[in-house]
Order: sequence, then C-alpha cells, then structure tokens
Amino acid sequence: MSAAISPLEQMVVVLARDLADGELGAAGAAALVPMAAIALARELHAPNLTVGGEMFFNPEPGRLYPSMLDDRALGRCEAAETFIELFGHSHHGLDFFFHSGLQHDAFGNINLHHVGGTLHAPRMRGPGAANLSYCHTSTRFYICPTVHTARNFVEKADFITIPGHLSGPEAKRAAGLTKEGPRFVVTPRAVMDFDPETLRMRLKSVHAGNTAKEVQRHTGFDLGISGDVPQTPPPTEEELTVLRARIDKTGTLRA
Amino acid sequence: MQGHTKPTRRSKITALHDAARLARSALLERPELCLGGLFKQGRPVALVRALLAAGAKDLHVYSSPGAGYDVDLMIAAEAVEQVFIPGVTLENRLCPNFRSAVESGQVTAHALDALTVVGGLMASAHGVPFQPIDALRGSDVLKHNPLLREIDCPFSGRRIHAVGPIRPRVTFLHAQEADRWGNLRHLSTMVYADQLMARASDMVIASVDRIVPDEVILDDPSRVSVPSHYVDAVVAVPYGAHPTASFPHYAMDEDHIDAYADLGDAARAGDRAGLDAYIARHVTGPTTQEDYINAVGGADYFARLEAEARQE
Repeated sequence: MSAAISPLEQMVVVLARDLADGELGAAGAAALVPMAAIALARELHAPNLTVGGEMFFNPEPGRLYPSMLDDRALGRCEAAETFIELFGHSHHGLDFFFHSGLQHDAFGNINLHHVGGTLHAPRMRGPGAANLSYCHTSTRFYICPTVHTARNFVEKADFITIPGHLSGPEAKRAAGLTKEGPRFVVTPRAVMDFDPETLRMRLKSVHAGNTAKEVQRHTGFDLGISGDVPQTPPPTEEELTVLRARIDKTGTLRA
Repeated sequence: MQGHTKPTRRSKITALHDAARLARSALLERPELCLGGLFKQGRPVALVRALLAAGAKDLHVYSSPGAGYDVDLMIAAEAVEQVFIPGVTLENRLCPNFRSAVESGQVTAHALDALTVVGGLMASAHGVPFQPIDALRGSDVLKHNPLLREIDCPFSGRRIHAVGPIRPRVTFLHAQEADRWGNLRHLSTMVYADQLMARASDMVIASVDRIVPDEVILDDPSRVSVPSHYVDAVVAVPYGAHPTASFPHYAMDEDHIDAYADLGDAARAGDRAGLDAYIARHVTGPTTQEDYINAVGGADYFARLEAEARQE
C-alpha cells in the first residue's frame, strides 16, 4: 500500500476486528467510522453480521456517508422499518452499538447536552441525543470520537447523556446497568479499555506515530500508564486493500 | 332512482397559505406542533415557512426524535417557546440559533430521549392512557425529562417508566404522493414516525411532491403509508421539503443548509443582518412556492438536486 494509513482507517480496523459473525448491531448517529467498520467486518470475517436497529437493514451504500439518515446511502438496503420497530429494538437490545459526544469521561460516560452551566442555563448547549437505550440494552458498545483532546476527554462529564460505567461497578449496579457497557474507546490517537476492577478508562495501545506520553497530554484525566504501552496492530495488507477498494472508494477516511 | 344526485366527496387539496392559516388558528388553541421526517429527510419545510409567514408564535415543537434545520429556522424567526425533541442538530454541525436561544434562556429545550417521544405518540395513536417504557437507565436525562413518570410494573413489580399521550394539535408531514382525498404514499426508503404521528394528532396537514389520480391509490392500496382518514389537508408543493430531501425525487441541499448555518453562526457572533435577510428572502418574502424556488436558485438549481437523488 502506497498511501499512509490514516488515523480514521486505523480506528475502522480496530473496531472491525471486534465485531463477530452473526451479530446484530448499528452504527449510531456519527456513522462514518462505525459503518466502515461494520462493512469491513462483513467483507472479511462476519458475512452474517446484520445491520439493524436504526430503521434499516443491511444497507449497501456505494461509498461512505457521514450520516446513514440519507436516502443516498440507504437507496440500496434490504428492508426499512419505522420508529415503532425502533422502540422494540431499543428494549430487546442489539449486540453492539457506537457512541461519541461532546465530552467523554474517565468512566466512559458521554455528554451530548451541555458544557458548563446547567441544563436550562447552559454555557454551551449541545445537540442532545435521540436514542439512550442501546448503550445499556445492547450487549456492549464502543466509544469512537474522531477527535481526542483534553477538552473532550475530561475527568467528569458535566451531564451524563449516555451512561458508560457511571462512577464504577457499584453505581452501575445501583442504576440497573447489567450489560458490559463501553468496551473500548477508539480514537485517532489510541485505544483505551476499562480496568475490570474499577471500570476506569486506561490506555491499551497507541496507534503508529503516537506515544503514550502524547496521548496522556491530550487526555484530561490520568490514563493509568505504567510501563511500556504497546502499539495498536496496524491494518494488515488485506484489511487495507478491502477497505480502500470495496468500502471507502472515495477516500473519505483519508480526507 | 329518479331525481337522486350523488353527494360529492370533499377533496382535501388545499392551497399552501390556506393550510398555514388553518394550522395557525388551531395552534392558537393549543401550541403543540409536530413535524414529520427526520433530520434532513422528508421534512415539511414549505409548510413550516408558510406557518412562520402567517405569524405563528410561542410554539411547542415536537418531531420524530431528531430535527435540525427547520426547528432552528423557527427559532431564528422567534416562533418557538419550547422544544420537545431529543436530538437537535444539523448532524455535521450544531444548530446555531437553537444553541443561542437555549443558552440565552429565550427557548426551553427539554431533555428527552427517543423512547419517550415515540412512546408518547404510541399512547396517543393507540388511545391508551400511557405507554410503559423499560429501557431507560443511568442517564441524567431521566432526572430532567418532564414527560416521564416512574411506575411499578403490575406484573413484575419492577420500577419502570411511563409516558402519557403526546397529542399534537397539528402535525405537518411531507410525502411524495397523495390523491385528492389525502391518501399519502411515501416513496422514500424510510417513513420514520410519520405514520405514528398521523394517528396521534388532532390535525394532519401533508405536503406532497405531486397529486396522483385516484386509480394509482386504488390499484395498490398496500402502498398507502397514511390513509386519508388521518389526513385533514393535502398541499401539492413542488420541492416542498427543500432544503431537506424528498427521495426518490430530490436530494438534501447540504450547501443551502450550510450557508444558512454560517449566517446563524454570524448572528451568534453579533451580526444578525445576514440571518434577517435570509428570513426575508426565503420565509416572509415569497408569496408563492414559485417565488421561493426562484429565490433559492430556480429550476436549474433544483434539477441538480433531482439528478443527485437519481445518483447520476
């Protein structure tokens, strides 16, 4: 492969590897990276993975779109549903889902409502979020913002729109969050996971071209780095070829 | 039967500004307005513009769980008091006027989620006093959501949520086709919550890309997405969803929405002249949809959006 691997391509590959054959899942609102990951998994190892739960089944977009709520992306799909069926999927849960927000905190909680001030007197009002259920009715979810700075990775979110692990195992239990919750946080710089004891976020691996020290500097809380942090396994020749030739023909992930 | 004259069935085809006046007076009784479509798809924007031109004020706006351009425009035109929509965004950027109005306290934006809105519409559509919800946990939205109550499930004894009926006084929908009686056909891939809203609302006004002959409906009744029983008025408006999409007829106009958002951002920074000019040019200025089409860029401009919908 001639062109350098882009941070978004690295994110897509990390996420795709974790999706299994036969699963049911959906991309969420910021669909670019998740849809590419789903498509790559279906091409490489998960041909029976079903995209569903967001009112369309198994779309075949000719290229990647920033939002799947666009008939240009959905013009080819196997079936469409409505919000009535989405109500049911939200209760039954999916196998996986994706989220990102204005703030992501040390326990994987996500804020999409306001930064500073209060809900009804916010310093900065965010968009809110449509569906809050898939984060805890689904088996697991992934956090995958396309920027990673000390401003969007903060110790404590100003508002919890999407609960991750709240403040740890006890709070999670008390709130009735019985599923895995956020499994990985995949950003353009690194992959984070959660300490199984405390459920606090920690650095798992850094993408090529980043150092653990740099990732820590761009994160607003302690990532618990001790010793050497491995490098994220880069895309294989096969992953990159399929991604560029069949999924991202227009190079959106490299733009 | 000599001397018998068959009475005439009433056509629901209505002129755009008559429909807006009808909605305006209904909303004076109760200000709950609901909009069909989702984000940049299938939104009844021509009806929204006509309602703004008719001078609507103090609206409580509902929608399928995600909205952007139209709600932001209604806020820019100072027609909104409260927003009951879980997600308000242009998707690729935030809604500038929504942000400004909520941050300054001019508009109240409630913290909600999709299931509360969909469940409330379901309760209303089905004629039951509430809809149970058992999939909301751990979010701060639960602390602020004004429409939810906690109840004990009468079967399991578990604490669950309930939402009462959401009954919009007026719902605006956009579909691709209708007959003169108001039977709607969505030809787009997705119909979102349009069918649910139609059944949940006191009054339903639909814009359509074209009116089709009665035979088109009678030949394929399973293709009707919203039966005329639920529809009070139908308005044929060319490009009536613009700048949102009406598939398969025309694609969303992202350039138009982006240019609008730039004007909103300028207004946030203190310069409202561009935004006011936009409203005068697109909302209050045009007296017909033809005027609007010309203000946006004319037939050639729209031909490009049509070609994009055909993926040419």
